[in-house]
Amino acid sequence: MILYDYVLSASCYKVRLMAALLGVPLELRAVNFHPEREHKSAQMLSLNPAGTLPILQDGKLILTESTEMLRHLTADRPQWRGPDAVWLDYATGLNASLGLARLHDILGYQADIDAVRRAGVAQLRRLEAHLAERRFDGQIFLTSTHPTIDDIACFPNTALAPDGGVSIDVYPSIRLWMRAIRSLPGFIEMPGIHRLHELEVPA
Amino acid sequence: MSGGEGNHWYPVALLSDLTQPRRTQLLGAPITVGLKDGAGWVNDAAYHALPTVERFGHLWTSPGNPNRDLFTIPEAESPGRRLVDVGSVRVKCSPLRAVENFLDIAHFPFVHTDILGAEPHTEVERYHVEIREGIDEVWATKVRFFQPQAAKSAEGGIITEYMYRVPAPTCAVLYKTCPPRPGEWDIITLFVQPLTEEWCEVWPWMALYDDDATMAELVSFQQLIFMQDRSILENQIPRKLPLDPGMEVPTQADMTSIAYRRWLKKIRYTYGAQLVAA
Amino acid sequence: MILSWPAPYRFEGLGARVLDWIAVALLEDLPAGQVVPRRVHDVDLAVWRSAAGEVQAWGDRCPHRGMRLSHGFVRKDKLACIYHGWQYDLDGACDYIPAHPDLTPPKTICAQRHDCSTQDGLIWVALEATDSTVPETGDRVPVRSLDVAVSAADVAAMLGLDLAPVLPVDGPFDIALAVQPSGPSHCLVHAVAGSGADPKTVSRHLEDLRNEWEAAA
Repeated sequence: MILYDYVLSASCYKVRLMAALLGVPLELRAVNFHPEREHKSAQMLSLNPAGTLPILQDGKLILTESTEMLRHLTADRPQWRGPDAVWLDYATGLNASLGLARLHDILGYQADIDAVRRAGVAQLRRLEAHLAERRFDGQIFLTSTHPTIDDIACFPNTALAPDGGVSIDVYPSIRLWMRAIRSLPGFIEMPGIHRLHELEVPA
Repeated sequence: MSGGEGNHWYPVALLSDLTQPRRTQLLGAPITVGLKDGAGWVNDAAYHALPTVERFGHLWTSPGNPNRDLFTIPEAESPGRRLVDVGSVRVKCSPLRAVENFLDIAHFPFVHTDILGAEPHTEVERYHVEIREGIDEVWATKVRFFQPQAAKSAEGGIITEYMYRVPAPTCAVLYKTCPPRPGEWDIITLFVQPLTEEWCEVWPWMALYDDDATMAELVSFQQLIFMQDRSILENQIPRKLPLDPGMEVPTQADMTSIAYRRWLKKIRYTYGAQLVAA
Repeated sequence: MILSWPAPYRFEGLGARVLDWIAVALLEDLPAGQVVPRRVHDVDLAVWRSAAGEVQAWGDRCPHRGMRLSHGFVRKDKLACIYHGWQYDLDGACDYIPAHPDLTPPKTICAQRHDCSTQDGLIWVALEATDSTVPETGDRVPVRSLDVAVSAADVAAMLGLDLAPVLPVDGPFDIALAVQPSGPSHCLVHAVAGSGADPKTVSRHLEDLRNEWEAAA
């Protein structure tokens, strides 16, 4: 499978992370999203007329929505599927709030930044409330006793919220949930989400 | 403005990405930047033209009267190098903190883990630092560090040798062992546009010997590295760079940073600096 | 070789404080071996627990280059800074600098420690030394912490109370709030409730209360 990838994109990371956790190799094709806007080039538009990243190519199949990519990667792994699309839809909604705040703060994208950040805070509170209730039931992940694509879909924009000036310091259940994801075998990092150095044993 | 910062050159745009006029700011003042007939221009808020220089793929300007020319990097002009426009990243920190971090190697194992450094190879050997008289630049030489993947073109861990050069208060140049061409140096720069004293736009730029990687891969590698630094730079307290030696604790590994701070004091460059303990 | 010898960093501008002891987290929200950031009044803290579970509350700043220690990581009984890996022991003293593995760091390099304590399932911090005892939350159990975009004093006022470390709430579930002032217009409330109450029901009730306070503020 080929992933047309941008190293700083939360959505691309979502797919890289899912594949890493599954042990599925991806052939990464770096796209010069910034500064060259290569995702809008004729060659990239021929793959994805919407001009967005990531793009996942598996033989003749071309996927352009990261949620679809998570479903595709877990097609034969039912244990990675949640019961419904509630948290997948929630994850998509983070792009317009936490995701946009991040693009604003890093790359200077235009945004009504206060409104965008407020929307992000409201979403984080909803996630925190849900995860707090899960913990009352002795669970740490969003929908199941083990991680599902719902967790992986929600994780990147949540963990990267500080890049866009939105604090995640005040959400204890989100912190513990993120920690559980970072502890999964095969976890990979991206800038803004560092690995658990405490797990390293210096020689 | 508190001192002579108005009389230095600053990067304000990438020439290859200046298809539209760009509104930005410099040292807290709004400016507009654009291209006309292939030449870059910069206006201040009163539509007065500011001086410009086009160099290293970037457009440079100064709101004052620069008392010296914009520095050059002669090595970058040698044939066979690929010039890499990395673009820009905004960071909520002092421009001086961004430069100082670029001069630091001791953070590699923890911030750029398994790329530029890795435990247990954390030791920083003594290296040489000087403020070169005449050209008035900070230089660090004979800097050596173990790196798991020193560059896109590196395979496996190597001892990498570095030279660091600070030719202007918000600019730094790194000369680095070039894996495919022993004896030559790769050139990696950090050009910082001070938006305010605590907010900057950082323009990395590179002149590399690398015939294999795609341009997108080279850009991605450097953006990855700098974004790992960004999560540090936005979380240092205070945001400004303390020049009061009582506020922070340097060690021998920080000799470049010590010389940089001393040099900033000497040339009285205090924009983005904190002079007394808060 | 250490090239200068600063005093431990002191946070200034602390302002008037009403509370000696301030709850900063539910103990179960901070497992052993982890570190979290907390803002208490206008002081940023790194609150952490050693692998053996001992709780510490330090100024959130590494003396080396000012990096927030709350971004760091815990190894055994030490907190390490994420920037250069400097390690600090339970006394707050730096005892390992990875760039100079053979160096014994001088005792003057240290994090700023604050008194802290655990009681009734909550972690309590005193920003300044105090002789007073850690507040009691009565016969209640911890439920959860919530951030509120209203100052601690205003939350107390809306409950008809003066600001105190523990604010009892009239109404169902025997709720009380251990309140953590956090900046000029925010607080965290660490909620405890009567031991028979269903935590999900209490949690939803707390969300309703928060909505009321924020709407009224």
